[in-house]
Amino acid sequence: MSLEPVVSVRTYALVLLALILLTFLTVGISFIHLSGGWHITFGLLIGVVKASLVALFFMHLLHSPRLSWLIVFLALVWLLLLFALTLADYFTRELIPFMPGH
Amino acid sequence: MSSDGKLLTADERHMLEHSILVRHRLEEQFENLEQQHFTGTSAMWVFLATEVMFFGAIFLALAVYRYKYPLEFEKASERLEWIIGGTNTIVLLLSSFTIVMAVHSAQLGESKKIARFLAITAALGFLFLIFKGIEYYLDYRENLIPGWRFDPGEWLGPDKLQNAQQVGHVKLFLIFYWVMTLIHGLHVLIGIVAVLIIMALAARKHFSPVYYTPVEALALYWHFVDIVWIFLLPMLYLLGTHTHFGF
Repeated sequence: MSLEPVVSVRTYALVLLALILLTFLTVGISFIHLSGGWHITFGLLIGVVKASLVALFFMHLLHSPRLSWLIVFLALVWLLLLFALTLADYFTRELIPFMPGH
Repeated sequence: MSSDGKLLTADERHMLEHSILVRHRLEEQFENLEQQHFTGTSAMWVFLATEVMFFGAIFLALAVYRYKYPLEFEKASERLEWIIGGTNTIVLLLSSFTIVMAVHSAQLGESKKIARFLAITAALGFLFLIFKGIEYYLDYRENLIPGWRFDPGEWLGPDKLQNAQQVGHVKLFLIFYWVMTLIHGLHVLIGIVAVLIIMALAARKHFSPVYYTPVEALALYWHFVDIVWIFLLPMLYLLGTHTHFGF
Protein backbone atom coordinates (compact mmCIF):
# COMPACT_ATOMS: atom_id res chain seq x y z
CA MET A 1 0.00 0.00 0.00
CA SER A 2 1.32 3.41 -0.94
CA LEU A 3 0.40 6.90 0.25
CA GLU A 4 -0.64 7.95 -3.25
CA PRO A 5 -2.21 6.10 -6.18
CA VAL A 6 0.51 4.28 -8.13
CA VAL A 7 0.65 5.46 -11.75
CA SER A 8 1.71 2.88 -14.33
CA VAL A 9 5.17 3.00 -15.95
CA ARG A 10 3.40 2.95 -19.31
CA THR A 11 1.75 6.31 -18.54
CA TYR A 12 5.09 7.86 -17.55
CA ALA A 13 6.73 6.50 -20.72
CA LEU A 14 3.96 7.90 -22.94
CA VAL A 15 4.26 11.33 -21.27
CA LEU A 16 8.04 11.26 -21.83
CA LEU A 17 7.50 10.37 -25.50
CA ALA A 18 5.01 13.23 -25.92
CA LEU A 19 7.45 15.67 -24.26
CA ILE A 20 10.31 14.63 -26.56
CA LEU A 21 8.09 14.90 -29.68
CA LEU A 22 6.95 18.37 -28.59
CA THR A 23 10.61 19.39 -28.16
CA PHE A 24 11.34 18.33 -31.77
CA LEU A 25 8.22 20.23 -32.88
CA THR A 26 9.24 23.45 -31.13
CA VAL A 27 12.77 23.29 -32.55
CA GLY A 28 11.35 22.39 -35.99
CA ILE A 29 9.09 25.45 -36.01
CA SER A 30 12.15 27.68 -35.57
CA PHE A 31 13.20 26.69 -39.12
CA ILE A 32 9.94 27.91 -40.66
CA HIS A 33 10.10 31.55 -41.67
CA LEU A 34 7.64 33.41 -39.47
CA SER A 35 7.49 37.13 -38.92
CA GLY A 36 6.62 39.24 -35.92
CA GLY A 37 6.06 37.53 -32.62
CA TRP A 38 4.91 34.16 -34.00
CA HIS A 39 8.05 32.25 -33.07
CA ILE A 40 7.77 33.26 -29.44
CA THR A 41 4.00 32.65 -29.49
CA PHE A 42 4.31 29.06 -30.75
CA GLY A 43 7.33 28.47 -28.51
CA LEU A 44 5.45 29.56 -25.40
CA LEU A 45 2.25 27.67 -26.36
CA ILE A 46 4.19 24.41 -26.77
CA GLY A 47 6.04 25.27 -23.54
CA VAL A 48 2.74 25.59 -21.66
CA VAL A 49 1.58 22.20 -23.00
CA LYS A 50 4.89 20.57 -21.99
CA ALA A 51 4.88 22.19 -18.54
CA SER A 52 1.28 21.03 -17.99
CA LEU A 53 2.21 17.44 -18.89
CA VAL A 54 5.14 17.53 -16.45
CA ALA A 55 3.01 19.04 -13.65
CA LEU A 56 -0.05 16.80 -14.12
CA PHE A 57 1.69 13.45 -14.60
CA PHE A 58 5.31 13.65 -13.37
CA MET A 59 4.49 15.92 -10.42
CA HIS A 60 1.33 13.89 -9.68
CA LEU A 61 -0.89 16.97 -9.62
CA LEU A 62 -3.64 14.86 -11.20
CA HIS A 63 -3.83 12.74 -8.03
CA SER A 64 -2.91 15.45 -5.53
CA PRO A 65 -5.26 16.90 -2.90
CA ARG A 66 -7.03 20.18 -3.59
CA LEU A 67 -4.53 22.02 -1.41
CA SER A 68 -1.76 21.38 -3.99
CA TRP A 69 -4.06 22.59 -6.77
CA LEU A 70 -4.79 25.73 -4.76
CA ILE A 71 -1.07 26.51 -4.31
CA VAL A 72 -0.41 26.02 -8.04
CA PHE A 73 -3.47 28.11 -8.90
CA LEU A 74 -2.34 30.96 -6.61
CA ALA A 75 1.20 30.84 -8.04
CA LEU A 76 -0.25 31.18 -11.55
CA VAL A 77 -2.63 34.00 -10.51
CA TRP A 78 0.30 35.95 -9.04
CA LEU A 79 2.36 35.30 -12.18
CA LEU A 80 -0.55 36.45 -14.35
CA LEU A 81 -0.90 39.67 -12.30
CA LEU A 82 2.83 40.32 -12.63
CA PHE A 83 2.77 39.83 -16.41
CA ALA A 84 -0.62 41.40 -17.18
CA LEU A 85 -0.12 44.64 -15.27
CA THR A 86 3.47 45.16 -16.44
CA LEU A 87 2.84 44.30 -20.09
CA ALA A 88 -0.37 46.37 -20.12
CA ASP A 89 1.92 49.32 -19.48
CA TYR A 90 4.68 48.51 -22.01
CA PHE A 91 2.32 47.33 -24.80
CA THR A 92 0.27 50.55 -24.66
CA ARG A 93 3.01 53.17 -24.31
CA GLU A 94 3.11 54.00 -28.02
CA LEU A 95 -0.67 54.21 -28.40
CA ILE A 96 -0.85 57.72 -26.99
CA PRO A 97 1.53 60.21 -28.66
CA PHE A 98 3.99 61.97 -26.40
CA MET A 99 2.82 65.60 -26.10
CA PRO A 100 4.96 67.73 -23.81
CA GLY A 101 3.11 70.61 -22.17
CA HIS A 102 -0.30 68.94 -22.04
CA MET B 1 0.18 -18.24 21.19
CA SER B 2 0.44 -19.90 17.79
CA SER B 3 0.45 -23.61 17.12
CA ASP B 4 4.24 -23.85 16.69
CA GLY B 5 4.79 -22.51 20.21
CA LYS B 6 5.85 -18.98 19.25
CA LEU B 7 4.22 -15.97 20.87
CA LEU B 8 3.02 -14.44 17.60
CA THR B 9 1.87 -15.83 14.29
CA ALA B 10 3.64 -14.63 11.14
CA ASP B 11 0.70 -12.36 10.35
CA GLU B 12 0.66 -10.87 13.84
CA ARG B 13 4.41 -10.32 13.74
CA HIS B 14 4.08 -8.63 10.35
CA MET B 15 1.34 -6.31 11.64
CA LEU B 16 3.38 -5.45 14.73
CA GLU B 17 6.47 -4.66 12.65
CA HIS B 18 4.34 -2.59 10.36
CA SER B 19 2.84 -0.57 13.24
CA ILE B 20 6.33 -0.05 14.73
CA LEU B 21 7.47 1.22 11.34
CA VAL B 22 4.47 3.55 11.16
CA ARG B 23 5.02 4.83 14.71
CA HIS B 24 8.72 5.30 13.98
CA ARG B 25 8.02 7.41 10.88
CA LEU B 26 4.96 9.34 12.06
CA GLU B 27 5.82 12.60 13.75
CA GLU B 28 3.60 13.43 16.68
CA GLN B 29 1.99 16.57 15.25
CA PHE B 30 0.34 14.53 12.46
CA GLU B 31 -2.81 12.44 12.53
CA ASN B 32 -1.52 9.81 10.13
CA LEU B 33 1.19 9.14 7.53
CA GLU B 34 -0.96 10.33 4.67
CA GLN B 35 -1.49 13.73 6.31
CA GLN B 36 2.24 13.93 7.05
CA HIS B 37 3.05 13.11 3.42
CA PHE B 38 0.78 15.76 1.93
CA THR B 39 1.97 18.37 4.44
CA GLY B 40 5.51 17.72 3.23
CA THR B 41 4.68 17.82 -0.48
CA SER B 42 2.48 20.92 -0.01
CA ALA B 43 5.43 22.69 1.62
CA MET B 44 7.52 21.89 -1.47
CA TRP B 45 4.73 23.24 -3.69
CA VAL B 46 4.74 26.50 -1.67
CA PHE B 47 8.51 26.77 -2.13
CA LEU B 48 8.06 26.17 -5.87
CA ALA B 49 5.41 28.95 -5.92
CA THR B 50 8.09 31.34 -4.62
CA GLU B 51 10.43 30.03 -7.32
CA VAL B 52 7.75 30.78 -9.92
CA MET B 53 7.84 34.43 -8.78
CA PHE B 54 11.66 34.45 -8.79
CA PHE B 55 12.02 33.12 -12.33
CA GLY B 56 8.80 34.85 -13.44
CA ALA B 57 10.27 38.30 -12.81
CA ILE B 58 13.32 37.55 -14.99
CA PHE B 59 11.15 36.02 -17.74
CA LEU B 60 8.95 39.14 -17.62
CA ALA B 61 11.95 41.45 -18.01
CA LEU B 62 13.13 39.37 -20.98
CA ALA B 63 9.63 39.55 -22.52
CA VAL B 64 9.49 43.35 -22.14
CA TYR B 65 12.87 43.87 -23.85
CA ARG B 66 12.07 41.28 -26.52
CA TYR B 67 8.98 43.42 -27.24
CA LYS B 68 11.02 46.65 -27.34
CA TYR B 69 13.99 45.38 -29.39
CA PRO B 70 12.65 42.46 -31.51
CA LEU B 71 15.23 42.71 -34.31
CA GLU B 72 18.32 42.80 -32.09
CA PHE B 73 17.02 40.03 -29.80
CA GLU B 74 16.26 37.76 -32.78
CA LYS B 75 19.69 38.38 -34.31
CA ALA B 76 21.41 37.63 -31.00
CA SER B 77 19.22 34.56 -30.35
CA GLU B 78 20.25 33.06 -33.72
CA ARG B 79 23.90 33.06 -32.57
CA LEU B 80 23.20 30.80 -29.57
CA GLU B 81 23.93 27.06 -29.79
CA TRP B 82 20.38 25.81 -30.27
CA ILE B 83 21.57 22.23 -30.92
CA ILE B 84 23.07 22.06 -27.43
CA GLY B 85 20.04 23.87 -25.98
CA GLY B 86 17.69 21.36 -27.64
CA THR B 87 19.81 18.35 -26.66
CA ASN B 88 19.88 19.56 -23.07
CA THR B 89 16.07 19.78 -23.14
CA ILE B 90 15.93 16.07 -24.02
CA VAL B 91 18.52 15.29 -21.29
CA LEU B 92 16.41 17.06 -18.64
CA LEU B 93 13.18 15.41 -19.85
CA LEU B 94 14.85 11.99 -19.57
CA SER B 95 16.04 12.87 -16.05
CA SER B 96 12.47 13.86 -15.11
CA PHE B 97 11.38 10.42 -16.26
CA THR B 98 14.10 8.63 -14.25
CA ILE B 99 13.32 10.57 -11.05
CA VAL B 100 9.60 9.85 -11.36
CA MET B 101 10.61 6.18 -11.73
CA ALA B 102 12.52 6.54 -8.44
CA VAL B 103 9.28 7.74 -6.80
CA HIS B 104 7.44 4.85 -8.47
CA SER B 105 9.98 2.39 -7.03
CA ALA B 106 9.57 3.96 -3.59
CA GLN B 107 5.80 3.48 -3.80
CA LEU B 108 6.41 -0.20 -4.55
CA GLY B 109 9.03 -0.51 -1.80
CA GLU B 110 11.96 -1.35 -4.09
CA SER B 111 14.85 0.41 -2.32
CA LYS B 112 17.58 -0.72 -4.70
CA LYS B 113 15.66 0.59 -7.68
CA ILE B 114 15.15 4.00 -5.95
CA ALA B 115 18.91 4.35 -5.57
CA ARG B 116 19.54 3.16 -9.13
CA PHE B 117 17.05 5.57 -10.72
CA LEU B 118 18.38 8.45 -8.60
CA ALA B 119 21.94 7.59 -9.73
CA ILE B 120 20.83 7.81 -13.38
CA THR B 121 19.05 11.11 -12.61
CA ALA B 122 22.20 12.59 -11.06
CA ALA B 123 24.25 11.35 -14.04
CA LEU B 124 21.83 13.03 -16.48
CA GLY B 125 22.07 16.21 -14.40
CA PHE B 126 25.87 16.07 -14.73
CA LEU B 127 25.52 15.46 -18.47
CA PHE B 128 23.35 18.60 -18.70
CA LEU B 129 26.07 20.62 -16.93
CA ILE B 130 28.81 19.16 -19.16
CA PHE B 131 26.86 20.14 -22.31
CA LYS B 132 26.30 23.57 -20.73
CA GLY B 133 30.05 23.88 -20.15
CA ILE B 134 30.79 22.98 -23.79
CA GLU B 135 28.20 25.55 -24.86
CA TYR B 136 29.76 28.23 -22.66
CA TYR B 137 33.16 27.46 -24.20
CA LEU B 138 31.71 27.82 -27.72
CA ASP B 139 30.11 31.13 -26.64
CA TYR B 140 33.55 32.22 -25.43
CA ARG B 141 35.10 31.36 -28.80
CA GLU B 142 32.21 33.07 -30.63
CA ASN B 143 32.68 36.35 -28.72
CA LEU B 144 29.31 36.19 -27.02
CA ILE B 145 30.34 37.33 -23.55
CA PRO B 146 29.58 41.04 -23.03
CA GLY B 147 32.23 42.84 -21.02
CA TRP B 148 34.85 40.16 -21.60
CA ARG B 149 34.70 38.57 -25.06
CA PHE B 150 32.56 40.72 -27.31
CA ASP B 151 33.31 42.45 -30.62
CA PRO B 152 30.78 45.19 -31.51
CA GLY B 153 32.25 45.40 -35.03
CA GLU B 154 31.06 41.95 -36.12
CA TRP B 155 27.43 42.92 -35.41
CA LEU B 156 27.53 46.04 -37.63
CA GLY B 157 27.19 46.27 -41.42
CA PRO B 158 24.68 45.91 -44.26
CA ASP B 159 22.09 43.17 -43.50
CA LYS B 160 23.26 43.43 -39.92
CA LEU B 161 22.75 46.09 -37.27
CA GLN B 162 23.13 49.78 -38.04
CA ASN B 163 24.41 51.53 -34.93
CA ALA B 164 26.07 51.14 -31.55
CA GLN B 165 22.77 51.52 -29.71
CA GLN B 166 21.43 48.38 -31.41
CA VAL B 167 24.62 46.51 -30.52
CA GLY B 168 23.93 47.55 -26.93
CA HIS B 169 20.57 45.75 -27.17
CA VAL B 170 22.37 42.63 -28.39
CA LYS B 171 24.53 42.84 -25.27
CA LEU B 172 21.36 43.17 -23.18
CA PHE B 173 19.99 39.94 -24.66
CA LEU B 174 23.27 38.14 -24.00
CA ILE B 175 23.25 39.33 -20.39
CA PHE B 176 19.77 37.80 -20.03
CA TYR B 177 21.12 34.59 -21.58
CA TRP B 178 24.04 34.39 -19.16
CA VAL B 179 22.13 35.33 -16.00
CA MET B 180 19.19 33.01 -16.72
CA THR B 181 21.23 29.96 -17.75
CA LEU B 182 23.66 30.43 -14.84
CA ILE B 183 20.82 30.70 -12.29
CA HIS B 184 19.15 27.67 -13.85
CA GLY B 185 22.46 25.77 -13.88
CA LEU B 186 22.87 26.55 -10.17
CA HIS B 187 19.44 25.02 -9.56
CA VAL B 188 20.52 21.88 -11.45
CA LEU B 189 23.73 21.71 -9.38
CA ILE B 190 21.79 22.01 -6.09
CA GLY B 191 19.38 19.37 -7.41
CA ILE B 192 22.24 16.95 -8.14
CA VAL B 193 23.57 17.33 -4.56
CA ALA B 194 20.07 16.72 -3.15
CA VAL B 195 19.58 13.68 -5.43
CA LEU B 196 22.89 12.19 -4.21
CA ILE B 197 21.89 12.68 -0.54
CA ILE B 198 18.49 11.02 -1.04
CA MET B 199 20.21 8.28 -3.07
CA ALA B 200 22.52 7.50 -0.12
CA LEU B 201 19.48 7.31 2.20
CA ALA B 202 17.63 5.05 -0.25
CA ALA B 203 20.63 2.72 -0.46
CA ARG B 204 20.40 2.34 3.35
CA LYS B 205 16.70 1.36 2.99
CA HIS B 206 15.50 4.59 4.57
CA PHE B 207 12.28 4.68 2.51
CA SER B 208 9.23 2.43 2.27
CA PRO B 209 5.77 2.56 0.65
CA VAL B 210 4.45 4.24 3.83
CA TYR B 211 7.30 6.76 4.02
CA TYR B 212 8.87 8.26 0.88
CA THR B 213 7.99 11.96 1.21
CA PRO B 214 11.61 13.18 0.73
CA VAL B 215 11.85 11.28 -2.59
CA GLU B 216 8.58 12.81 -3.81
CA ALA B 217 9.52 16.34 -2.63
CA LEU B 218 12.93 16.07 -4.31
CA ALA B 219 11.24 14.91 -7.53
CA LEU B 220 8.88 17.91 -7.39
CA TYR B 221 11.89 20.27 -7.22
CA TRP B 222 13.66 18.45 -10.05
CA HIS B 223 10.59 18.60 -12.30
CA PHE B 224 10.25 22.32 -11.61
CA VAL B 225 13.84 22.94 -12.73
CA ASP B 226 12.95 20.97 -15.87
CA ILE B 227 9.88 23.20 -16.45
CA VAL B 228 12.05 26.34 -16.19
CA TRP B 229 14.29 24.94 -18.93
CA ILE B 230 11.22 24.07 -21.05
CA PHE B 231 10.49 27.84 -21.13
CA LEU B 232 14.13 28.93 -21.45
CA LEU B 233 14.47 26.98 -24.71
CA PRO B 234 11.97 29.07 -26.75
CA MET B 235 12.63 32.33 -24.86
CA LEU B 236 16.41 32.28 -25.43
CA TYR B 237 17.28 29.91 -28.29
CA LEU B 238 14.26 30.02 -30.61
CA LEU B 239 13.35 33.72 -30.83
CA GLY B 240 14.14 34.11 -34.53
CA THR B 241 14.06 31.97 -37.68
CA HIS B 242 16.98 29.55 -37.97
CA THR B 243 18.42 29.53 -41.47
CA HIS B 244 21.54 27.43 -40.99
CA PHE B 245 22.05 24.01 -39.47
CA GLY B 246 25.19 23.51 -37.41
CA PHE B 247 27.51 25.17 -34.94
